[in-house]
Order: sequence, then structure tokens, then C-alpha cells
Amino acid sequence: MRNKFTIAQPWLTLLARLILGGVLIAAGALKVGNLQKSAMAVRAYELLPVWMANLFGYVLPWIEIGIGLLLVLGALVKINGLLGALIMLAFIIAIAQAWARGLSIDCGCFGDGGAVDPEDTKYLSTIIRDIGLLGLGVFLYFYPKGRFALDK
Amino acid sequence: MATSSSGDKGTRNLVIVMVAFIVTVGVIFSIISNRADSNFDIPAAVSASDGYGIVLNPEATPKIDVYVDYQCPACRQFELINGGYLNEVIAQKKAKVVFHPMTFIGPESILAANAAACSADENKFVDMNLALFQNQPAGENTGKWSNASLIAIGNSVGITANSFKQCINDGKYVKWTRNITVESGKANVNSTPTVLVNGKPLDRNTEYGDPSKFREALAAAGVN
Repeated sequence: MRNKFTIAQPWLTLLARLILGGVLIAAGALKVGNLQKSAMAVRAYELLPVWMANLFGYVLPWIEIGIGLLLVLGALVKINGLLGALIMLAFIIAIAQAWARGLSIDCGCFGDGGAVDPEDTKYLSTIIRDIGLLGLGVFLYFYPKGRFALDK
Repeated sequence: MATSSSGDKGTRNLVIVMVAFIVTVGVIFSIISNRADSNFDIPAAVSASDGYGIVLNPEATPKIDVYVDYQCPACRQFELINGGYLNEVIAQKKAKVVFHPMTFIGPESILAANAAACSADENKFVDMNLALFQNQPAGENTGKWSNASLIAIGNSVGITANSFKQCINDGKYVKWTRNITVESGKANVNSTPTVLVNGKPLDRNTEYGDPSKFREALAAAGVN
């Protein structure tokens, strides 16, 4: 059992890097083209003061792209796995509080975002997806060494 | 072996530096290119203290703020349902009405907002506002709205002045839309349409889609 894991782990690390990194790159890339909407999506969570939400809306997509690129290329995997996990944790908290407070918003995870009709909210599936991605980030923190990485 | 290993390390560090560079440049560019500036060209009817919106009847009360995006289907719906009454209120000077054309749906929203601002300079904003919604393309940023087609929409409501044409072709008020974006962000407007009566938002469940409820909401603020 121990031996099997030792063989599989570098490949699992590679897979986790590609999935978490790929999702982050896609999420960031879909947002950088329309940062007004990105800022609006962050504001709609009604969690941060407006000026901070706007700033976050402009900055976050680039951070996502940066972490995603480094994960896919396999550089600083340990740190970026942790950062990816922390971002996912922040998203989970933000979505859960929006759900609990009865806000009707799109998560804005991949562009879009803002207020939507109450029947169009997808809080549970979004949280489940983000928990999965959080798990991948945690895995990368503990097992950063994998195949096809720039880290040696 | 030693050289190849140090070569790998060099590549890795180069990649890290490059990614950090991309992120930094992206962030700086994003913040600068979305910044508002009081020196941008603004239409004559615009008031900085009213969120850079286009103001009709500046002396009247109460104040009604209308936040729209010309590509937003719900805004078209709102204009078709309540625009007639709102335009009556404007014509009879029963309220100060401030329009904030937002542009978060994309490039063609910017073109349309610019055209609307140009029409305000010709004192034809109300007609142009309605005409834009009546001619709203199905789908976002489809290429149907261009300077030429927006000039044609203006012509259809009787705006034929050369200054209007030139204003649109120059994109004179394109930068002003950034001021609208920043100010509507400060006002925490997160969806369109958003209508504020004396600063208080209408009830999204009822007062946008029901013309009699809309009238009642305005009447409650003293519009009659």
C-alpha cells in the first residue's frame, strides 16, 4: 500500500497541479477581459467595503492567473498549492455567507457575477466544487514533488 | 550533472520572475485603465456631484437615479414598461432624473453610452435613450452596434446635427464612462436596472415590472 502510493504520488501531484492550476487560469482569464464586471461580482457579496471590493475585483483575476501558471508549470508548488487552497477557502466562506444571508447572486467565479434571480443561485454545487479544489491545494502543500515540474 | 541542475534552477527562477512580472503589470494596468478622472470630457448635462450621471431637470425634486446598461435585456424591459411614464415625469419637470449608463456588459455598451451622452448635448437624450432600448440587439457585443449604426439610430429620432455625428465618431465621451463606472461602484450598484428614488432603491420584486406599482413608488416620493 505504502509502496503503491509512493509510485502514484508524483503523478497525483501532477494531476492536482493541472486541475487546480487550469481552473485558476480559466477563472482569471475569463475575468480579466471585463474587470468592471469582476468588481461588480465582488461587490455583490456585500462582504467588503466598496473600495476594497472594487480593488479586489481588479486584482484577483491576475493573482488567479499567476498562481495557476506557476502550478501548471510546477514552480513553487508548495507555496502556490497553499495559496490556491487559501483562495478557495476564502471563496467558500464568501459564498456560504451570501447563501446564509439570503443574497441572490452568481458566484462570479468565471466572469459574470452580480445579482441573479433567487431560483438561479447555485450555492451548494459551487461550494462542493471549491471544497474539492481546496483539497487539491492542501494535497499539493503536503506533496509538492511531482512529474514534469520546474521544481526539482 | 551539476551544470544541468543549475540550468534547471535558472529556468525555474526565470519562470517565477516572468509570472510575477505578468501579474504586477496586469494589476497596474487594470487599475490605471479603470481610473476615473475629473478632466475627462463630460457632456454639458452631466453633474459630477450626481455621480457623473446625465441630469434632467436639475432644479426639481424628488431625485430619481436610473442605472442601466444599454445592452441589458432587463433594462430594455424596464424602459418599455415604465419609460413612457418616466419620460412624462421628465417632460413635466416633476422630478430630477439622473441617468447612469453603465458599461459592464462590454465594448458595445461603451459605444451606446457614448452615443447617449452625445445625444444629451443635442438635448435629445430622452428620445435617444428610448431608441437605444428599442434597437437593442439580441445578444451581447454582437457587432450590431457600431458608431455608424448608432448615428443611424440618432437620425431616426431626429438628431441630424453634424456635431452629434462627430461626437460619436470621436468617441468623445468614452472615457467619461469610466467615471460612471467608478461612481456607480461607489454607490454599490451591482445589477441593472437599478432605480433609486431619493437614494432609496425600488423593490426589485414588484416595482420594476409593474407600471402601477412604479407609479405608486414615485407618487410616495411626491411625484404626482
